[in-house]
Amino acid sequence: MKVQLLITCLLDSLFPETGEAVVRVLNRAGLGVEFPPGQTCCGQPAFNAGFWDEARAMAWHTIQVFAGREGPVVVPSGSCTAMIRHGYLELFAGDPEKLNAAQALAGRTYELSEFLVDEIQIAGLPGRYEAHLAYHPSCHLLRGLGVERQPLQLLQAMEGLHLEMLSPECCGFGGVFSVDHAPISAEMARRKVEEIERLSVEGVVAGDISCLMQIEGALRRSGSDARCAHLASVLAMQPLGLR
Amino acid sequence: MRKRFLAAARKAIANPVLQQALDNNATRRLASRAAAFDSLPDPDAFKTEARHIRQETLAHLDQYLSAFRANLEEQGVRVYMAREAEEACRIAVDIARRSGASHVVKSKSMVSEEIGLNLAFERAGIQPVETDLGEFIVQLRGEHPGHIITPAIHLLREQVAETFAEALGMPYSTDVAAMNAAAHAALRPGFLDATVGVSGVNFGVAESGTLCLVTNEGNGRMVTTLPGVHIALMGIERLVPTLGDLAVMLQLLPRSATGQKLTSYISLMHGPGGANGPNERHLILVDNGRSALRRSELQEALLCIRCGACLNACPVFREIGGHAYGSTYPGPIGSLVSPGLFGFERYGHLTKASTLCGACREVCPVEIDFPTLLLRARHRYTREVTQPVLSRLGMRLFAWAATSPSRFKWLQRVAFLATRLLPRRAGWIRAAPFPLAAWTASRDFPPFAARTFRRRPLQAWTSAPASKDAGPPPTKDLKTPEPSPPPADLLARFAQELRSVDGQFLEAPSESAPEALLAWMHENRVHRLLMDPQVETQFPEISWALQQAGIELVRPHLDAGMDQAARKAALEAYDQVEAGLTLAAAGLADTGTIVQPGHANLASLLPRRHFALLPAKSLHPSLADWLASLQAKGLRSEPSWTLITGPSRTADIEMTLTIGVHGPAELLVVVLT
Repeated sequence: MKVQLLITCLLDSLFPETGEAVVRVLNRAGLGVEFPPGQTCCGQPAFNAGFWDEARAMAWHTIQVFAGREGPVVVPSGSCTAMIRHGYLELFAGDPEKLNAAQALAGRTYELSEFLVDEIQIAGLPGRYEAHLAYHPSCHLLRGLGVERQPLQLLQAMEGLHLEMLSPECCGFGGVFSVDHAPISAEMARRKVEEIERLSVEGVVAGDISCLMQIEGALRRSGSDARCAHLASVLAMQPLGLR
Repeated sequence: MRKRFLAAARKAIANPVLQQALDNNATRRLASRAAAFDSLPDPDAFKTEARHIRQETLAHLDQYLSAFRANLEEQGVRVYMAREAEEACRIAVDIARRSGASHVVKSKSMVSEEIGLNLAFERAGIQPVETDLGEFIVQLRGEHPGHIITPAIHLLREQVAETFAEALGMPYSTDVAAMNAAAHAALRPGFLDATVGVSGVNFGVAESGTLCLVTNEGNGRMVTTLPGVHIALMGIERLVPTLGDLAVMLQLLPRSATGQKLTSYISLMHGPGGANGPNERHLILVDNGRSALRRSELQEALLCIRCGACLNACPVFREIGGHAYGSTYPGPIGSLVSPGLFGFERYGHLTKASTLCGACREVCPVEIDFPTLLLRARHRYTREVTQPVLSRLGMRLFAWAATSPSRFKWLQRVAFLATRLLPRRAGWIRAAPFPLAAWTASRDFPPFAARTFRRRPLQAWTSAPASKDAGPPPTKDLKTPEPSPPPADLLARFAQELRSVDGQFLEAPSESAPEALLAWMHENRVHRLLMDPQVETQFPEISWALQQAGIELVRPHLDAGMDQAARKAALEAYDQVEAGLTLAAAGLADTGTIVQPGHANLASLLPRRHFALLPAKSLHPSLADWLASLQAKGLRSEPSWTLITGPSRTADIEMTLTIGVHGPAELLVVVLT
């Protein structure tokens, strides 16, 4: 089976190694991977900021990039998946033709762990990850898509991994919120850092790179040694630390 | 406005007292809410049903409003429709003036905050007295509520103690019970000689014309019972169609708000009159932007029942508290209704004070889709209110770049080059200029990739190893177990629930009830009883036995013909009686609740001790069963009903529970078998 990879603009621009991990994980699950080179950003930043005309332009661009390509679309991010699954329908609610196209894409778009566990029924990928990590249930993955069992199942299948849970409270990223409302965002991150320190884990794993960028940014600033890793990086046995 | 919001948020973050209070609120409220929801057989089904009820109400609001009005008017309630805040205030002030009031006693009402009613009363020379403990504290300090359910959430007990020492002249004490007692003593005379009482309404029931008020301290019952004139204020959207719908909403509101199965008191009010109630009842329906909101893309925000759960769950509220929002309605629901009701020019910026984390949606008892609504509101905000040039241009530039892969590649390159020389530590950027400066003020930022993902030659793209790896099956069970089924025996369940809310339970055959009561009264040195007339009618042998034992029976009676002085004198006399004895019309087993018709109002409200007789045959499994047995007609046969679940209580100071505020501190239910 072949999947279409929507890598997300953050992995593309800031964390390409994590992007490579995603490809490796998909390959190890027996999947071929295609990367449509026309892809850019799903439009979430503009959508969340209220600039829906701009968001529509980016969303329509994304819909067209994947329209001509067969197979499920896999996204290593809860929030970008939620954007396509829910946000696009909101954006094109008043345009039946485009709404159809948006629904078609939404219907075949999956978050990475959700795809591996629910769609192709992978129980786990064999591997070893000697670390004491905390799982951060990122908001859009947990509450936006209702996905938690799937990433936990994949992580628990890793040998040597000692996994704990962080509270499901938001890390404070929130897209533009992180700079628009920086003092509040930073406080929320500080609370998360304190929780991580209390657990004395070596690092944090999650399915959303944006949250991890916020958390690792705050961990580094606080002088903590704990680091973050995307779910795909752990499954691909990459070292801790986003970069 | 946005600048003011950010400044207030910064101030709140830097205030350790507030931070402590907000942490307490979040953790304790969420824990008690979760425990209370566990006692529902299928919480999600309840929420969905509640949502449908509210959606149906909003879909046919005009129809339900006119039925509601007609039913109220038929019962002698005067109903007014106020389109705007000023109009609502004018109507209330006019009624108070006509009644010759020098002061009005108020129970908690967010609508009255919204329309600025206190100020309107003050301007008219009428002193508004807030009687909810939290509101009372906030009013003494000249502040506004910091939370829609817990007004004094932002204060430590030391601050309240200072306020009380200064304003009430009590000796400085941080003992919460002592402070409650001081508030009780300060407010009591005002209750007894008020001409006008003002309250909110939690739900109006269209089919029966019922006003439902949900309270804990007993002050809500005071202001709707003791003064000759009761003015109720209600947003036009706070309706439910039927009594069955009300039963559903009442399962959810207290659980969501305070983690109680039911609050101490639920008042169901109809027409004025009766020997235990006001002579006039007025209802002011307040629109104030609701009709416009109902026609907008934010309509769903009107499903809200003001439980405050979204405030408690919101991580942003937890950082900045209620005052920073600068609106009557803070938190997630406030970020929708503040701009929705009062304008995007003033409050549109609040739509962005959220990470869209969805914690609010998760706890909302009517499943309001907060993230989606906040997004729609942001869209409207950017359309209606001019945005900063840089964010407009920035977004346009980004969209232009992101609609072409070659331009996007160019933008990635620019980002890399522009940030290449910024100061770093361990590879991450420590300080950056706009627009990243706000980020790097408190967090490191990752470096842009020299070689982005799209530029990397990725081997094995399409190759696929044959075997699907199979790992161990999932081991962790993330679901919580089903709550245990309730005990089959209604009486046992009733006793258990009553005790869990600090009520006392006694089981006695009718013939030995007087003996049991007398023993209790003797122990508590009760010599006089405020009597519910129904006890004497239904159980003459009990009242006879009490009289034989030398107990003086006082029969409270407020006559419509009484002038204010006479009414006050009567109330003051009743207030001196040590205990009240009532006959409950029904018991609700699943919450340990007794139901009292209006004629038992004073006996069950004024004395410190309340004894209630409950015939075992009057036990119902739940509120829904009782309402179903009565139907609208049966319910309306009484001017009012009160559902009593334990003694009166408050947790308004530092969330410290105190039993016994304005209502009784002790409740003994004698079940007659």
